[in-house]
Formats: sequence, C-alpha cells, structure tokens
Amino acid sequence: MKDLKHLIFFEDLLLEANNKLVQQAQSDGRKCIAYVCENTPEPLLNLEGTFSVRLRAPRTGSIDVATYYLTSFLCEFSRALLERAIEGGYNFADCVITPDGCSMMNRCVENMELLSAVSKDKKDFFYEYMEIPMKADDNGLNLYVLQCKNHILKPLAEKFGIDTSDAAIRKAVAKYNRIAELIRAIGDYRKGPNPTITGYEFAVLTLATYVAPKDLILDRLEETLEELKTREPDAKNPFRARVVVVGSEVDDTEFIKLVEESGAFVCADRYCYGSLPGRDPIVLTDDEDALTQICRTYMNRGQCPRYMNTEKMDARRTYVDSLAKEYGADGIIYEQMKFCDPWAYEKMLGSHILREEFGYPVLAVDRPYNIAGSGQMRTRVQAFVESIEIKKIQGGAQNG
Amino acid sequence: MAKEIGKDKFGSFYVAGSRVRNRREWRGVKDTLYDYSRWLVIMGTLGKFLMKPRNVKAMFRYRWMANYLAVPMMVDRHTQGLRQEYLRMCHIEQDLIIDDVAKLLGNLFRGDRRTGNDTEFSKKVVLVDENEMTAVMMGFPMLKCLSRETPSTYVSVLLNQHAAEHYIDVAQEFGLAGDVCPMPEAEAGVSIDDDAPVLGACAVQCNTTCDGSLLGNGVISRRLEKEDGIPVFQLAAPLRHREDDVQEYAAQEIRNAIAFIEQHTGAKWDWTEYFECAKRVNYATKCRQEWLDMNRTDYPQVFGSNLALYTETNYMAICGRIAAFEKADRKLTRLAEQAFKAKKRAAKEYRHRAIIWGVQSHYYMDFLVWLLNCWGIVPLTDMLSMVSTRKIAEEDTPENREQAYYDMAWLTENMIMRNRTHGGYKVLLDELWEFTEQFNADMVILWEHMSCKALDGMHGLFEDRARELGIHLVWVSHDLFDPRIISRQGVRDQINNYMRTVMREEPIDPSLEILPDEESW
Amino acid sequence: MKRNHTKKIPKGLSICLKVLGILFSLFTFTFVIYIFNLDMKLTSKIEPLLLKHYDRIERDRHL
Repeated sequence: MKDLKHLIFFEDLLLEANNKLVQQAQSDGRKCIAYVCENTPEPLLNLEGTFSVRLRAPRTGSIDVATYYLTSFLCEFSRALLERAIEGGYNFADCVITPDGCSMMNRCVENMELLSAVSKDKKDFFYEYMEIPMKADDNGLNLYVLQCKNHILKPLAEKFGIDTSDAAIRKAVAKYNRIAELIRAIGDYRKGPNPTITGYEFAVLTLATYVAPKDLILDRLEETLEELKTREPDAKNPFRARVVVVGSEVDDTEFIKLVEESGAFVCADRYCYGSLPGRDPIVLTDDEDALTQICRTYMNRGQCPRYMNTEKMDARRTYVDSLAKEYGADGIIYEQMKFCDPWAYEKMLGSHILREEFGYPVLAVDRPYNIAGSGQMRTRVQAFVESIEIKKIQGGAQNG
Repeated sequence: MAKEIGKDKFGSFYVAGSRVRNRREWRGVKDTLYDYSRWLVIMGTLGKFLMKPRNVKAMFRYRWMANYLAVPMMVDRHTQGLRQEYLRMCHIEQDLIIDDVAKLLGNLFRGDRRTGNDTEFSKKVVLVDENEMTAVMMGFPMLKCLSRETPSTYVSVLLNQHAAEHYIDVAQEFGLAGDVCPMPEAEAGVSIDDDAPVLGACAVQCNTTCDGSLLGNGVISRRLEKEDGIPVFQLAAPLRHREDDVQEYAAQEIRNAIAFIEQHTGAKWDWTEYFECAKRVNYATKCRQEWLDMNRTDYPQVFGSNLALYTETNYMAICGRIAAFEKADRKLTRLAEQAFKAKKRAAKEYRHRAIIWGVQSHYYMDFLVWLLNCWGIVPLTDMLSMVSTRKIAEEDTPENREQAYYDMAWLTENMIMRNRTHGGYKVLLDELWEFTEQFNADMVILWEHMSCKALDGMHGLFEDRARELGIHLVWVSHDLFDPRIISRQGVRDQINNYMRTVMREEPIDPSLEILPDEESW
Repeated sequence: MKRNHTKKIPKGLSICLKVLGILFSLFTFTFVIYIFNLDMKLTSKIEPLLLKHYDRIERDRHL
C-alpha cells in the first residue's frame, strides 16, 4: 500500500518521551501532566492549560539502575520507566498523577518520588496517588469521583490555577471525543477482508494520541482519515489470519509489527495504550455533572483485571468475544508483560475461556518490554497463524 | 539432653533424608513432663478429630489433609530450645491454634457436600478467604465463618514445607505464570485441582492481601459461583488505607458485605455480639502492645514465632470472635510479666536485637527460633505483628454503631502484612526505621519474598536507607510457599554468610548452621 | 505342719496397685513414643501411601 503521508511524523513523535509537540505545548505555557495508568481519566488531565503525556520509555537499553531499586521481579515496564526517570528523561513533566492500580506501577512512581528523579528543579512539581475502584458499582463510582476531585482537580486548581469547573471539564471531553472519534473512524478501516490500514500503522497513530498533546495532532489525524478513504489495499492480502491482541500495556509498536510480519493482521487492539476501549468516545448528558459521568464511563468500560466483581470479570471475556466478532478475527493473542501479576491471571483465565467456551484459537504469550528482535515470539506467532490456517481448512473441509 | 537453656546441640536431632527428627528434646524433668502432657493433649485433639467418620473420609479425599500427620512436629519445631515461661507461652498459643483448626476442619467437613453433607449446617456457613480480616463476621454469632484456604494451604505449609508444591504446579500447568506469589497461586491450584470442600450459603472474598489475592480469587469464585452455586461477594478494601478520603468507601463496602450475608443466610446482624467481639479485639491489642513494650527493653518476652504466628491467627482469623483467645491473651500476658519481672531470657545468649521485616517464608516459620538458637539474634518483632494499634468502639451506642462500620473497615484494610505492603511507602519503608529506633535494634532481617512485587519494589530504597542509618540489613530471599526455589538451608545460608563475613561471628550452636532438612516436614 | 505366712493384700489396695501399674505402663509406653518421636516416625511412613492414594483419585480438574 502507498505510505500514509504522516506516518513518519507520528513514528518520530514516538521516538522520544519529550517529543517536539510536548516541547511546543510547554513553550506555549501549558502544564504537562504525566501519568502511567489507563484508569486515570484522561479528559481531566487535558483541561485548558494542561495536556497529558502517558509515560513510556522508547528505545530503552539497559535498565540496571532501576533493577537495583525495583529488583528483577518487577515488570520491565515499571523498571524502564524508572530508569528513564533516573536518567532525566521525564524532567519535562510538571506533575505525575497515578492511581494505586497495580503494585508495580505504584512502586515505580514512589521510587521516582523518593529518588527525586523527575523535575526536581521545578518548584510546583507534585506527585498525586489516587485510590481507584476495584468494582464497578455505586460505591466505586462515589470513590472515583471523590478521588478525582481530591487528587486531580484540586491540585491542578491550587498549584497551576487551572479551571476545573464543570464547563471546563465538558470542553475537555469534547476535545477528547474529537480525537476518539477520529481514531475510531480510522480503526474501522481494519474491518473488512482486505483492510487499508495495518495494525502497526494504527498502533502508531493511537499511541501518538497518548503521548503528545491531542490538539496538536488533530489536523494530521484528520488528514490521515481523509487519506484512508481513497487508499488502495495491496492487490494480494499479505496476511494469513486476523487476530485481536488482548492484554497488558503495549507501548512498543514493534510488537505489533512483529505479529504482522509473522502473518497475523492485528485487527483489534484491546490492550493498555490501545484504542479499545481507551479511545471510545465519552457521551455526556446535561442532567448530571460531567465528572461523575466521566468516572462512570471509565469505571464501566475499564478492562483492567483489577476490577474484581464477577460481572466485570465475565464482561472482560465477552468484550473480547464481541471485538473478535466485530473485527472479524480468526484468533486471539493474549499477551502480558513479563512479571505482570494482574495479567498473569487474566491471561490464564481469559485464554482458557475464549478457547474452551467461545471456541477461538488462542495464543497466550508473555513478553519483555522491548520485543524487537525476538525470534522466539516470531516463531510462536507463526506457528499460531499456521494452526489457524489449518483449522480454517479443516473447517472448510467439514462444511464442504 | 539438657535442662539448661542452650546446652543442647540441636543439630543432632536432624536426620538426613528423613521427614522427622530422631527424638524430642529433654528439657529437664519439669519442662519435659509439661511438654509431654501437651503432646498428649494434642494427640487427644487429633484422636477426637478422627473419631468422626466424615473426617476420616475427608482425610482420604483431600490431598492437603496428609499434612496434618505432621501436627505434633510443627509444635516441636517452634518449641526448640524453649524452657519455662517461653515453652508454656508457645504451647498456650500453638495448642489453641491446633484446637481451633481442628474445629475449623470439623466444621468444613460437616458441611462439605463430599463428606458430611449436612445441608442445614451448610446454610449457616459463610466462606471467607484466608487473606481476609473476619471483622465483617463479628456480628453474626449464629453463623459459621469458615475458610477453606486456611487449612488447605496456609496451615498445610506451616506443617509441611512441601505442602503447596503440588497445587503450585497444577496452577502453572493451567497457564499461570510462575513468578506470581505462590500463596494465591496455590489457593487457585486447590480450586483447579478440585480439592476444596464444597459448602456454604455464600462466600465473601477480599482483595487483601494484594493483586495476587485479588486475582486468584477470580479463579476460585468462578468455580464457587458457576459450578457450586455459592454466591460470592467481593469485598474491596482500599489500598491507600492511611488516607481519610477512602474510609467512606471502605465502610460502605462493609455495609454492603453485611447486607449480602444477611440476604443469603437469613441471619440478622447482632450488635450486642459485635461489641463483645470489639472488646476482645481491644483487649488483644492492649496485650500485644504490652508485649511489644517489653520487647523494647533488654528483656523481651513474647517474640519470634510466639508473637508472629499467634498475632496472625488472633488478629486476623479470630478478630475477637472466639472467647478462648481472650483467655489465652490473659495467660500469655501473665507469663510474660512473670518472666519479665524475673529478668529471664529465652536463650543462652542474646547477641543482636533484630526487627524482622518483610513477608516471612511460610515454609520456614521456625526460622525465628533458629535465629535465636544458632546466632543469638533476638527477633524482637516482625512486620506482620506491627498491626493496628487503634482502639475500636466497644460500647453499644447509636454513634458507635455508625462508627463500627468504619472500625470494621479499618481492620479489614489493615490486615496483617497488607497494612505495610500497601498504603504508600511510609508504612513499609519509613516506619521500619522508626521501629528500629524504638526497639533499640541493631539489625534488620529483611525477608525478601521474591514474588511480592510490592515489597521487592522498595529493595533499593531499603538498602539506601540502611546504609545512611548504619543499620545492618540482612536480606533473606525466599519464595513464601515454595522451598524448591530457595530451600530452608538456602535461607539459613544467607544469615550464616552475613554473620560470618560481615559480623565476623561464630555461631552459638554450630550444629545448627548446616541442617539436612530438605526432606523434612 | 508349717503355717502359711503369706499376708493377704486388701482388695482395694490390690485394685489401686493394678490401676497404678496400668497407668505407669501407659505412661512409660506413651513417654517412650513421645521422647523417641515414634509417633512422627510412624506417620512419616504413612504419608507416601496416602499420597499414592490421592494420585489415584479421579478429579474434575479445570479452571
């Protein structure tokens, strides 16, 4: 297929945490809110005068210093972030807001704080730790709202003078929705038998919306959507199977590229830093304050395994099934970051249920933070693709 | 064979390749006869348990029941070297715990569909996790609060270091990663292996201790709800338990849990009973504080596993609900005061005063006794004993009835271990050094449970702070329930190496340095 | 004719002595078991038999 005009631009943005758009926004006087977890409601971090950057550590090399602090038993994501922080890679941030979501990310940020690893020369710099619900119910919603008020809105207002009124929040939601609608629309081009956007390209675009000020990439996303309307697919579909990738954080687009180079088209991205449900629009009504509605949306749509009530646990698996149907997936790849406790359990249960009860071919893998040259992973995905092909042939033979 | 403390060479009791020791200790006529009499009582408890056919049936049905063959040996391990008041304290605690666990097993098998199948009894049973404060049951005297995980994994590993290996392997066969905490992993393995009793009107699971518990419960509840038809309530205890803005959430969870139990059992919450239990909780807290105050002096009395195991049981599993534990608290305090007045010591030599921090290696709880006997390191207190010191409301008034929800929530959030591994770095990192100072400790033995990410994540900062303060920090790595990763000798070697190379000391009892206990219970 | 000089032990005392004898024997028996750890040595022989038995039980093993 013809290259997307702005792909290189977006790929370049991903090469640095402190990318040029972050620098541009800060030079305009906006405050940069760094965060690490999908359970932090994004619109609240993107009010007038602020923008959010979800932390990642591109081109991570050694993580030895972080390993000393966190040990080799914590996931590489947490260690990579701490290493980058110690190296000074996040000194552009004006604050770090994190939920106490998983122990590893919590310790990662606490280490950043105790080591004064981020922006120690910034006078008004602060860390905030939130509690977030573990169940999607009324009690959880009340908690979520209170925590957002106390640990996001209040400090932003007090420290940076940010307008955190209901009107301001609604404006932020509208801007967020514009990006979400664009990403959703671009993502729809993954549907159909011969898609006009690859999973890798889509992952690049989506990731860029997490790590750069959203308003500064809006125009390029709109142009990309226009481009896709007329983009011609390859004459022969290079992919042999379609898969949904489900799991823990994936901020390394090389992983998606690896999967696709192994023959599996990533038609849906149900992982942290992905678009499902991370780029679902937030629908607001006028009969309730925006904050409560945002919290309810995040709570209800959240796919994090830390949601422990039975309905949420079941819903995580039916959600994957619905995505597989919507995007025409042949199989599912459950991936987890190595040493991730929440996804270790979710991967075990999810892969079992999707295989045994829903009848999908499932590949369950764990992976390091940076995957790029992994021959092992390539082999696993290739074997998985072949097994899907064989299943299709056998299924066809039975039906024929 | 010696009456005097410290005269025995305890290493001579061990036999390579054997499950058991070659003999029991001679402690002088009086203490030996006392220990013998308590052994008879334990045998009586076990005998009484086996009189019931359903319990025998359970013995042949559940793999983890085989570990209960080792009950007397567990007591022997924890009483090694003890005399006089210390021996009696240990027995008061251990024998009571054994009796309580025997009752727990008896009740489980009474209601279990596979053994006793007493359906009327089962309707009064509420299943709870092992890793869960039972505060929410304080007002339900008419119900039976039973934990399946306590006898199948928790107590089993105390009895036999290899007890959980089979279940860990089962969980991993089904795709669970090997780096997760082996405790919830083993619990999930019991469920997957179809080796858990099936009974109860409902179940209350809790996200404590940690991510692993929260997630492992999902494996267990799947079977409970979908297959066994036992409804489950997931009780969420906030992680940031020191913050005021989570307490309402926590209290509401308690209200919701109580409503759930009432709905599924037909029982009504009893405030009179609740406040009786609250009084016992406060009394237990008072006693524990007194013991810890003594431990701050040169004559600590209730320490090591005498403190650790008992606190875990009394604070968490019992939570004021059983009067026998209040009696035990009284007896223990009396003995401690008696020994304290006489300026007695539990071992020949006290060389070092240590805070034991981190999560203990469950397959080697008697390590604390070994520290004392081998190297003269006195384990003054441990992280799991540094629990809530708050006095909860104990008088039945309308205001206190409202406060009670917050108190129960507070207790639930401050479950042992969890009150330190979660809640911010202050409770794990900063407070350790405060305790080190308060207890005048010259050493910290830091249990590094390698699968505990919440603890591991502070490794470097523990090191940095210990260096700044000039405290001897001795890391002891282990994998909680799995001695195949680091054996008991591996655990000992970490201390041996430090004491020889850094402290340049010789052991008090060299026969304990290397022990052939790989196969031992 | 020689007289029989054997004194008759009172019945009550005889019963007491027998009971004491039994108790002492029980004490000795149990104390020997206790001090030489014979109870644990026995149960440690039972354990492998039980484990083999558990391996043979059919189980409904699943997630």
